[in-house]
Amino acid sequence: MDADLDRLAERVDAARSATEARGETFYPGPSRSQLAAFPPKERWDDWVELDSKAWPKKVEKRFMLVPTTCFNCESACGLLAYIDKDTLQVRKFEGNPESPGSRGRNCAKGPAVHNQITDPDRILHPMRRVGERGAGGWERISWDEALDELALRIRSAILTDRHNEVMYHVGRPGEDGFTERVLAAWGVDGHNSHTNVCSSGGRTGFQFWCGIDRPSPDHANARTILLISSHLETGHYFNPHAQRIIEAKQNGAKLIVMDVRLSNTATHATEWVAPYPGSEPAILLSIARELIRNGDYDREYVRRWWNWQEYLAAEHPDRPATFETFEAVLRDVYDHYTFEFASQESGVTVEQIRSVYEAVAEAGPRLAVHSWRSAAAGNEGGWQVSRTLFMLSALMGAIAVPGGTYPNAWNKFVARPIHLPHHPASWNELTYPLEYPIAQNELSFLLPHFVEEGRGVIDVYFTRVYNPVWTNPDGFSWIEMLTDHKKVGLHAALTPTWNETAYFADLVLPMGMSSERHDITSYEQYDAQWLAFRQPVLRAARERMGETITDTRQVNPGEVWEENEFWIDLSWRIDPDGSLGIRQYFESKADPGTKLGIDEYYGWMFEHSVPGLKERAAEEGLTGLEYMRRYGSFEIRRGIGPLHETPIGPEQFATDKRVDRFGRVYSRDPEPDKENFAPTGAPDPDHEGRRAVGVEIDGEVLRGFPTPSGLLEFYSGTLASWGWHEHAIPTYIKSHIHPENLEAGQVPLISTFRLVTQIHTRSANSKWLDELSHSNPLWIHPKQAAEVGVITGDLVRVETELGHFVVKAWVTEGIRPGVVACSHHMGRWRLTGHEHAHRLNTTTVALHNEGSKWSMSPEKAHGAFESPDPDTSRIWWTDVGVHQNMTFGVHPDPVSGMHCWHQAVRVVRAHEEDRAGDIFVDTDRSRAVYRDWLKKTRGARTVSPNGERRPRWLIRPLKPTADAFRIDGPVGRRSADAPAVP
Amino acid sequence: MSRADLLRALADLAARPHPGSASIAEALELPRAPTASEHTDLFDFQIYPYASVHLGDEGMLGGDARDRIAGFLRALDVTPPPEPDHLVVLLHAYADLTDLAASGAPRADHARRVLLHEHLGSWVGRFLARAVELGAEPLRAWARLLTVTLAGELAQHGPPPELPPALRDAQPLPEPGEATAAEWTQGLLTPVRSGLVIARADLARAARDLELGTRVGERAFTLRALLDQDARAVLGWIATEARRQAEDLAPVVATGGDGVAAWWGSRLTATAGLIARQLDGRGGPEG
Repeated sequence: MDADLDRLAERVDAARSATEARGETFYPGPSRSQLAAFPPKERWDDWVELDSKAWPKKVEKRFMLVPTTCFNCESACGLLAYIDKDTLQVRKFEGNPESPGSRGRNCAKGPAVHNQITDPDRILHPMRRVGERGAGGWERISWDEALDELALRIRSAILTDRHNEVMYHVGRPGEDGFTERVLAAWGVDGHNSHTNVCSSGGRTGFQFWCGIDRPSPDHANARTILLISSHLETGHYFNPHAQRIIEAKQNGAKLIVMDVRLSNTATHATEWVAPYPGSEPAILLSIARELIRNGDYDREYVRRWWNWQEYLAAEHPDRPATFETFEAVLRDVYDHYTFEFASQESGVTVEQIRSVYEAVAEAGPRLAVHSWRSAAAGNEGGWQVSRTLFMLSALMGAIAVPGGTYPNAWNKFVARPIHLPHHPASWNELTYPLEYPIAQNELSFLLPHFVEEGRGVIDVYFTRVYNPVWTNPDGFSWIEMLTDHKKVGLHAALTPTWNETAYFADLVLPMGMSSERHDITSYEQYDAQWLAFRQPVLRAARERMGETITDTRQVNPGEVWEENEFWIDLSWRIDPDGSLGIRQYFESKADPGTKLGIDEYYGWMFEHSVPGLKERAAEEGLTGLEYMRRYGSFEIRRGIGPLHETPIGPEQFATDKRVDRFGRVYSRDPEPDKENFAPTGAPDPDHEGRRAVGVEIDGEVLRGFPTPSGLLEFYSGTLASWGWHEHAIPTYIKSHIHPENLEAGQVPLISTFRLVTQIHTRSANSKWLDELSHSNPLWIHPKQAAEVGVITGDLVRVETELGHFVVKAWVTEGIRPGVVACSHHMGRWRLTGHEHAHRLNTTTVALHNEGSKWSMSPEKAHGAFESPDPDTSRIWWTDVGVHQNMTFGVHPDPVSGMHCWHQAVRVVRAHEEDRAGDIFVDTDRSRAVYRDWLKKTRGARTVSPNGERRPRWLIRPLKPTADAFRIDGPVGRRSADAPAVP
Repeated sequence: MSRADLLRALADLAARPHPGSASIAEALELPRAPTASEHTDLFDFQIYPYASVHLGDEGMLGGDARDRIAGFLRALDVTPPPEPDHLVVLLHAYADLTDLAASGAPRADHARRVLLHEHLGSWVGRFLARAVELGAEPLRAWARLLTVTLAGELAQHGPPPELPPALRDAQPLPEPGEATAAEWTQGLLTPVRSGLVIARADLARAARDLELGTRVGERAFTLRALLDQDARAVLGWIATEARRQAEDLAPVVATGGDGVAAWWGSRLTATAGLIARQLDGRGGPEG
């Protein structure tokens, strides 16, 4: 018996022992069993698997395994491309075990990249519009033609001081800072991001506390995890975070999920808290109150790190400036946020709120919190969701400690690039208008209204992996803008696939997917700093085989390109002789006067800017670039810890030191070289130009936080002095969908939630993902469904401010009564008669327009179609949902600038003539809604304390020169009455 | 030759089936991996792979039996997972301690011996004996292999020097007349009190054998419904079942040693005797 067992033990251990005996890396499976989960990295050049198609014969297939990074959501999970060595085709994608964030695990979207690169409808060549915009006529052109046309217009704009008539509007970011530097090199303040329809609200709350706008919770080591999100299934960075949340749960952590829906995440929670939408800050502040009243908070931490002295000086100057005074004031200020008040606002029972409080109090510093979009993106004042959430961390001393929450910039690394251009000399008022001086990001979703009002025109408009017609609210206003040549001179859509915005472009330029482009990524997923390399895998494979590749188009399908090479080439064409001062930023350092190549760009970075990479690579006889091409990831350091506690060496203020009355330390002594370029706040110098060095606490100068005070800002002097004194400390703002603001019969519609197997509009080109999730019925509680008189599958008409949409009902107890919800991603469409369009998971629709009245009606249901991929003839589903965002008015939060997504709607039975997917909108109404929300703002002309447009310390992708910060500074565009450019 | 990975592989098959289960089953030379429904039927509906169910005073999850294992893990500086007494956790813990012992970690060998004697060997033989009877083919093979593997471990360490505390301290089935009918029924379904491991399938078999109707529900509910129909016949059947189960203690001998097997045997015999006395009119549970 023993011999049998030993033989069996040897047999099951064979994989591990044989691998290790060869000196190779063994990656155990998730169950920690003896079966390897991944091929040893030492064998990635020549990996053998049996050909599944040849079964039952055992035919060996040889693969080269090349790492890259997923480009679907922002988690940047590692992928391994399995490249068939016979055909040099990618056969599948699996996880990369060398990726420190995702650790080899992927969600469904990772392997589905294979669908995306083989999508029969993908764009393979540059296309130019023929006929009217949006009419569907296209001709194939060369890259040279496209580049020359763009370069000519951009050069002309720059030469005539119209820099800011060039705009780049980005959806999914690729590489931190790359395109921002391209625009800076051009002198263009034209960066426009999607962030104000995404995460600005969440970011704002974190930024006002600690000067860094994202959280990095250390889930794995937490005792209590408090999520205002559905983070086990979606969101930043759900796959790497989800695996660590589950680890924490396995170790006994409590998981508290606040979500109006019974999300997949909520089903795994210890406590599912389903508040009325927008009432989350009331709950969080009631918990804070209880912590304060019971003395459950970390007094010493609060004394050391909160800017209580500044607060007392500003708000209670007559009282003794002692910590005890502050504690007494704190008790008073929050005394009215009782559990009973929170319960009344939220509809959550006092008992459950108390239970959450107890879990928070028990956690001590091991309290991990997270909020990103969710409530912060839905409500007016939503930015106070993350602010009040982080207040709990700040009370418990649960910041940058094991099991707590780190500021993201400490768990992220952005390397210094080969060239660093200066920032632009003018201010783009179409992105950062005066009405929103402290908006977290660009007011991107208001662009059609700004242009309509004559604030400026756009001569060259790049949309890049972005689909504002579909994604943004008020999509018909976008169509109106994009089809008007006077408003948008040339629209170039940089996209891998046809989408609702590309239909209205002049140029459609095919860009690579995850495995067809270069980027560096680094995201906060645990307490470490790491770098991942996205790369065109066929380029890396062919280089391993000895070929020299100088242009990614040589290996990508058709003429699909990557952006980095595109921008470098375009910049050379804008400034061919270097006379504009642009070309210098796109030249080789090794061979001055020649074009910078991708290998040199990344090679330089990996050799000079990533600590430890060169040395690690050298251990294997590789260069930094070779190492990253081979393994795809590098962990720079882990266990970053509380950087704010780092002592500042006396050499930084050896000859000059000034300490203000609250402990902020300034000096004229030179600043040490910056290593990590992760975005943070940039505290202003003092009035004599000294830079902020650190903060003095108990006689020691420490690094502190990148806030004006260097401390955690319970009290935001910025908010107080820029017109929002009433919100200078964390408060509860009643949402625009608060019951007091609803009319009779209206209910809140939650439209922001995502599904685990889709990602915005980018994943519709994956047949596997579409088969899993393809529709977005309206979640409605049985009680409410009975009132409306519908059952699951019945059509309902959802009436919004602008019009209505028609959708199927899904009756479920998984949503709070009195609230309805409809998921994001779905309702994709293509226009009738268009030959070039995306067919997978889209409905063919007709657009009707009469004055300001627009409607969209399905002409042909989604279904099977013939293509080179036989699977498209097997499509069995016809319902692909409804494009609800079209019917939403714009709701910019007057502080954060975030679009407040939640809608006040009426849900009624569909009319007899209604069909699923019908949409009706009046854009006159959308303009009225825009003007209503504009009235809520407090513009820089009224509130600016220093004659500038925006507090300089706030994060901004491009930071124009000081002159441009002035309210009347240069704006880099034609005046409203100037003649149009032909 | 360390068998830590062998134990992990066996643990993996007791966890929820996944795409890699087939490879593990193949490596273990089992006929195939269990399907999800086979796994659910055995581990969720018939018998429960938890120490607390087999050793607890009420035959339910949690309680002192679970706390005892959690405390054991804490003493090893391991934060107990939510279900520390699940067979999968125990097998992984044993495998990890085996690796630690091999690396010379102090106390590891002692700890794994304690784990085997007190927290596995005290009950797992009874569970595995029933798994062999009730499981689908791959799970029967799995149970046999795990029995043999644990027997190998026990042979290394020798039998426990004394009866594990959970058995030593266990209360017997109450004497007739000392408990309510509900308590007595629950006692029958509590392995450590009656010695019996009764599955839903057993109750269905009893109904078939006695030509009674079954009512679907918790086992206690089903058993009560059977007793309500013909208490005498059902009690007779249970006494026979206790004697039958007492004949199959080889897995307990293999995984827990002769002393543990004798304890379970005596408990089963006592239950059979108790019922016999009751049927002879010498007492019975209060109605």
